[in-house]
Amino acid sequence: MELVVKDISKIYSSKNKTNTSLNKINLCIKKGEFICIVGPSGCGKSTLLNIIAGLEKATTGQVIINGTKVTNPGSDRAMVFQDGALFPWLRVIDNVEFGMKMAGVPKKARRERALEYLKLVHLTEFQNSYVHELSGGMRQRVAIARALSLDSEILLMDEPFSALDSQTRSILQLELQQIWWKTKKTIIFVTHMVEEAVLLGDRVIVLTSSPGKIKKEYAIQLSRPRLPENPDINYYARKIKNQLKNEVGKVAKSEFDSDWYVEKGTVLSGAGDTLGIGL
Amino acid sequence: MKKVLFYLVLVILWELAYRGGTVYFSFWNVNYFPSPLEVIKRLVVLFTSTKLWSYIADSLNTVFIGYAISIVLGILTGFIITHFKFLNENLIGLLWGLQTLPNVCWLPFAILWFGENQKAVIFVIAIGSIFAISLGTISGINNINPVYIKSAKSLGAKGVKAYINVIIPASLPGIISGLKQGWLFAWRALMSGEMLLATRGLGKVLLEGRENQDIVQIVAVMFVIIAIGILVEALVFKRIEAGIRERWGLNKC
Repeated sequence: MELVVKDISKIYSSKNKTNTSLNKINLCIKKGEFICIVGPSGCGKSTLLNIIAGLEKATTGQVIINGTKVTNPGSDRAMVFQDGALFPWLRVIDNVEFGMKMAGVPKKARRERALEYLKLVHLTEFQNSYVHELSGGMRQRVAIARALSLDSEILLMDEPFSALDSQTRSILQLELQQIWWKTKKTIIFVTHMVEEAVLLGDRVIVLTSSPGKIKKEYAIQLSRPRLPENPDINYYARKIKNQLKNEVGKVAKSEFDSDWYVEKGTVLSGAGDTLGIGL
Repeated sequence: MKKVLFYLVLVILWELAYRGGTVYFSFWNVNYFPSPLEVIKRLVVLFTSTKLWSYIADSLNTVFIGYAISIVLGILTGFIITHFKFLNENLIGLLWGLQTLPNVCWLPFAILWFGENQKAVIFVIAIGSIFAISLGTISGINNINPVYIKSAKSLGAKGVKAYINVIIPASLPGIISGLKQGWLFAWRALMSGEMLLATRGLGKVLLEGRENQDIVQIVAVMFVIIAIGILVEALVFKRIEAGIRERWGLNKC
């Protein structure tokens, strides 16, 4: 299994201007790799994931999996969305069964398998609940179970933990590492949080903003399961953040007033006589 | 309890207006201004006779046939229109226009097509409510959260399966609100149709009241018409809507 992203560009054009969202992205992903794509907001990382999923069309370039070109969404690529995107009219178990139902798996077989996947994310007790009865973290776990149920080789995750509180997030990060370990899937994980990318990824790919380009790639060679308090994670994260600093500044510049710049924002101006009083 | 009190006060005011206007100062003719007590008495009389019941049955029968036709056609056209981008972009304005057309305006048309009979009334009911249902369905589908469509696609939902499993359930809130509005339009259309064309039904009883110069009967039947409209709304649509809201978790916030 090999996933190749070849010269992908995406240009959005509206009436009076064209906006290059992605510019000549090239990637090669091996079977079983955990890839994290990180970049400032608006750098087109979600767009890239949607193109790999087949939900959006690239302006130029192509995505090739095992020698065949991607044109449509397919059952070889399962996707987990930021807010879960579970169907509120279905019970948890029916949500997990959905993909198998579409594939025509008979009722009994798919129920059994759905229960297995629910067990993997420790939610069998809630199989008959409706989506609104679950917390945000539980919903994301159901979404992961639903994606796993397609039994695809590739799992695409679009900022799946970014809407969660930080405690829930670290629990799910650990759980995802274990699921990845058990299922040996290829995971492409998009996030805007550098620490999360370093914590989870074998490789972290840093995108720059407008136009979205690959700035640098980092191989993270740390033992697993990784915990967020591991100082090595911090070391890598700092390195990547330094890379990203200019990028973030660029984005911020277009969003802040003209009298703002990154360095100024990091120093407290007008420190008074109370400075250091709590030391 | 407060509500009951509120309506009681309203009835008392009505009675006072009646007494003041007709009995004490007599600037109103008794024949043109009914008293609430008279109306209530008449309602009792009407409901103990079989005639009113059978007329109610006739009216409900007519409205249900018309409404059923418009449900089927309205939902179907809604799905067809949203399926084609070109129709979706261009046809909605026309539907809004047709929806604004008061349903009585269809009567001359209906008479030419069907003659002066129940079929014409059914036609007016169907045409009066179909656009509301159609528009409700369309907005239900157009307002589906795009992330549902995306995740359905990535889970392999396609064609008819996608419609049955995702698009229809996801657009249900919109469809139901269209059906609810459609019901109100159908009920109104029934009345305008029956007043002009019917030989039976509630509209006919209203007309009889006019012919006999019987203001009490007119007002009594108006109350019956209001009551049926509200009752259907409360017993059918409120329940369905509440069920959907419950299931989708929309009641939480």
